Amino acid sequence: MTADGGGFAVEEFINAITAQLDRVQDALRLKAVNRPLTYALKELSLELKVFVEMDGEGNVRMRPGGPNESGTSEVHLSFTTITKPMIEENTISLTAARSAPLDELGLTTQERRRLEHMGVRNIAQLDRLGASTGVTTVSRLSAVPVDRLRQMLSAGRPRLSGIRPQSPKPAAPPTPPVVKVPPGTRRLQLKGAHLVGDSGPPTVRLNKKALALSEADDDVLVVEMPEPACGGHLEVGLPDGQVVAYELSVDDGAREGPGHDLWAPDGGGE
Amino acid sequence: MRRAELADTLLQLVGGVEAPPGSGLVVTEALLEIPLEVGSAVRGSELVFLGAPPHTRFRAGVLPPVHHSRLRIGPAEEGSDG
Repeated sequence: MTADGGGFAVEEFINAITAQLDRVQDALRLKAVNRPLTYALKELSLELKVFVEMDGEGNVRMRPGGPNESGTSEVHLSFTTITKPMIEENTISLTAARSAPLDELGLTTQERRRLEHMGVRNIAQLDRLGASTGVTTVSRLSAVPVDRLRQMLSAGRPRLSGIRPQSPKPAAPPTPPVVKVPPGTRRLQLKGAHLVGDSGPPTVRLNKKALALSEADDDVLVVEMPEPACGGHLEVGLPDGQVVAYELSVDDGAREGPGHDLWAPDGGGE
Repeated sequence: MRRAELADTLLQLVGGVEAPPGSGLVVTEALLEIPLEVGSAVRGSELVFLGAPPHTRFRAGVLPPVHHSRLRIGPAEEGSDG
């Protein structure tokens, strides 16, 4: 992280301050849950006294001035809040960043850095720049030989390396476990963990009909049974997309044998 | 003495602009220009920024340098990112 002089790359420097501001905004957002009026930090300007230096590899590094150190430079940093659409407008999309990085092409550090100065950080970006300006222009501006660039573009092209049959899926899905509930059951309690995700609580369907949730916590769900209670195919759609199936059976015998009842109350049946 | 992280100091400054309860006042915006002793530390493998108001207004050679900072604080808006 630090160079010989103890400095940090500008990127790390800015990220470290941004991380502190994110912590502030997160804490204030939590505070807003229980308070009618809360405040937000709209803008922050810092005039930092830092030593700016360049390391042996040509990276600019900054180090905050310490006690009794003179000769610092003053860096003015201004931070303001921006909205998600503004972030999306000003940054490359995540899909564009998914292409293989330049490191995989066996470039020297100098060559990689020269391409990075031209905004090329992965093979897809190199391909796009080469297609719009021509490989010769990229070579002239980056001082990377044309042959080497062509070799990199060729190595980065999509290709198939083989075809094989995918192992077939099991012919029949496993039989869902049977859950017996006594007649007259008004509610079902489902226990688990991490049941509420970003997309909300799980969906519970009985015979493809959604059941109303009367309680949804991270470790327990309570759903309303239809009137009158009926059995059938019970599906629980978890927040990660996984669907867990049960066969719900309304059975008078469920009153007497709590030992096999998955949802029997702790300490015995009714 | 363990120095406060910049975030903790900023949180205290933001929390400080609230009008006293029962005063009937509402602060709609606050602009603070304050000196901060800003420093950095490496915790684990992470660079962490520290920041706190100066220890003293008297000059001494061993105190960290004081950095000027400017904060604009306003009411949080519903559904905003800020």
